[in-house]
Amino acid sequence: MKRWHLGLAMILTVLTLGTSRAQEEQKEEPKNEQAAAQPAEEQPAQEEAKQPQEEAKPSEAAPEKKEEAASEEAADAAEDANAKPALGHDALPGVTAKVVVEDLNNPCGIAIQPETGILFISDSGNHRVVKVVDGKVEPVITDFPGDVYGKGPMVNIGPLGLLFLDKNTLVVGGGGLPDGEELLRVYELPADGKPIKAEAMVASFSLAATDEIKGEGNFYALASNGEAIFVTSNGDDTKGWVARATLDGNKVTGYERWLATKEATEVDAPVGVTISPQGYLVVGQMGEINIPGDSLITFYDAHSGNMLLNLKSGLHDICAVAYSKRGQMYVLDYAWADPSQGGLFQVLKDTESETGMRTKKLLSLDKPTAMVFDADGALYVTAIGELGEDGNSKGMLIKIDRDAGL
Amino acid sequence: MRTWRRIGSLLLVLAVGSGAVQGQEKVVEVPPGLRPLPVPGENPLTAAKVALGKQLYFDPRLSVDNSISCASCHDPKLGWSNGEATAAGVGGQRGARSAPSIINAAYHRFQFWDGRASSLEEQALGPIANPIEMALPIDEAVKKIAAIEGYARQFQEVFGEPVNEVNLAKAIASFERTVLSGDAPYDRYKAGDTDALSERAVRGMKLFFGKANCSACHSGFNFTDNAFHNLGVGMDKEDPDVGREAISGLKGDRGAFKTPSLREIARTAPYMHDGSLPTLEDVIEYYNKGGTPNPWLDEEIFQLNLTAEEKADLVIFLKEGLSSEQYPDIEPPELPQ
Repeated sequence: MKRWHLGLAMILTVLTLGTSRAQEEQKEEPKNEQAAAQPAEEQPAQEEAKQPQEEAKPSEAAPEKKEEAASEEAADAAEDANAKPALGHDALPGVTAKVVVEDLNNPCGIAIQPETGILFISDSGNHRVVKVVDGKVEPVITDFPGDVYGKGPMVNIGPLGLLFLDKNTLVVGGGGLPDGEELLRVYELPADGKPIKAEAMVASFSLAATDEIKGEGNFYALASNGEAIFVTSNGDDTKGWVARATLDGNKVTGYERWLATKEATEVDAPVGVTISPQGYLVVGQMGEINIPGDSLITFYDAHSGNMLLNLKSGLHDICAVAYSKRGQMYVLDYAWADPSQGGLFQVLKDTESETGMRTKKLLSLDKPTAMVFDADGALYVTAIGELGEDGNSKGMLIKIDRDAGL
Repeated sequence: MRTWRRIGSLLLVLAVGSGAVQGQEKVVEVPPGLRPLPVPGENPLTAAKVALGKQLYFDPRLSVDNSISCASCHDPKLGWSNGEATAAGVGGQRGARSAPSIINAAYHRFQFWDGRASSLEEQALGPIANPIEMALPIDEAVKKIAAIEGYARQFQEVFGEPVNEVNLAKAIASFERTVLSGDAPYDRYKAGDTDALSERAVRGMKLFFGKANCSACHSGFNFTDNAFHNLGVGMDKEDPDVGREAISGLKGDRGAFKTPSLREIARTAPYMHDGSLPTLEDVIEYYNKGGTPNPWLDEEIFQLNLTAEEKADLVIFLKEGLSSEQYPDIEPPELPQ
């Protein structure tokens, strides 16, 4: 797998950026249609493209099937998307957003409850998890431990990443305890909907320090492929771990340091994470917060952990990655050093660029932190917004309607 | 198209990490262990330009009193620094910061300790105009160089125009870009030569990338994250140097300075942004105690609890592992008249 390592001068690989987008680009650039289509079917590039699978271990056969299934869905979704009024992704005015919840404090995580579609948010500065009901927040889990992130600006934090394993099982990544003591907590939400205390988890896991290894903390974001939960963390800065919690059904059975992203990419801090429609683990590597433009988008085999593709995004501090229903990738840029440059970005192919990709800013957002697509295709984004000297903010939940056609 | 849809993917062939000097004249051999040399498109590297820049780099006529050249403070014989805590400019004036080595500066995301220049081209003229360094206003420097026939001819040949502020910077930056150090024992060890490092250096290397937490900041092929960190150095002074904060305006950058590369670190004593630590042993001891407490101390600075043997092993790795036999010991050229 060495050929896929960043250290090599040239890496040839394959990336899916979304079928629907491909169709759009055929409309935009008719001359490229044939050239774009051919490699998928008969050009040598396809052979190169297959190599990650050819070199994969037998245990990785399953994800290939999953990829095919996901792709079928993506194709169907693309057809649906094309049936919508053409708002066009280059038509930025077509992408409108509205603030749907205002009374949050440093919201840092978001998830949608299966079956109900209710939005859950880690209201991190208030040290609690809330849900949004009729446009109002209601406490779900309260009294998380709190901490302060950063030296200036400073951000009060508590719970961070959220992930539902099923309707009633919620996993919460913590940010309020010291490294090594920090917890990944699993909750069974009460049927009566009454709030519970943070300590009422049914299970919790930590990655403690040893004589040789620094403890882990700040479990920023969570993603699952049904076999494991992947957790970005920020303890040992020599490694930049993505931790992995193993799943037995919906039961978390173990938690370990798994992927040393800093060793793989030579750039700091995994933060955003998701599973691509093809089953790859996609990590938004934030980079140094005082260095502009050093964020990476990195693809890993979710089973072996092998790095497949590492893209220099040109963005400052990617903190979230998500795919829309039609398979298009989006990222949020927090832009620590200059938040006016932060926002929601679409990730697009660009064969003219050195990396083969480009990003397009769809929306300026004030310190965005997390995002999730709902079943209808609307995108919800949490943002810290105006941040006070005391580390508290006027955080918000922003909705980008499905009509934006993301 | 149906097949394509079924595959459900837009396939792209992507190139990542390709060298920035493709199609350009090969001027410098990049040593093993380093990445392709980043060269800005607006200043392609040519042998003639590097030769011109080299002359300018070593030429004291770029100072107001013809006493100080770039090489006076960034001396190839002294690790491309000057062997002192701070550097003496014209009239013996001294600033508060040490002269950073320019080895592998080509790869630095920022130049100067506070990162106020984002490229070598942007950096190159700074010391010339700085009143406590070379103290020669740039317009005067341009006139002075233009009056030297050998320079005038070379600028015309290299740039197709007389010397000016922009091409003066480009020439010096081009030379600086070629000052490279790689192919160190660490690189050879990493490439598979298990005899390249001694047993103690290997132990030190493991500490470097583990318990000692060095690679939290000194990461990547050039042993720097290119970022800015508050180590507490000088923060116990009455009026500490605010470092990066003066540039970024962010309070979190107070007392933060750029992470230097550690390649050839054994040659660049004394250490830290103010040159306050004379030896590598002092540096390790400083980190081991967790720096100097202050409100902006980087979270990666904490007590390491290294044993005496571990500290010694770490120093051995730094000295033995990161010093190259191919050190760029460049001799001064003959200067044009």
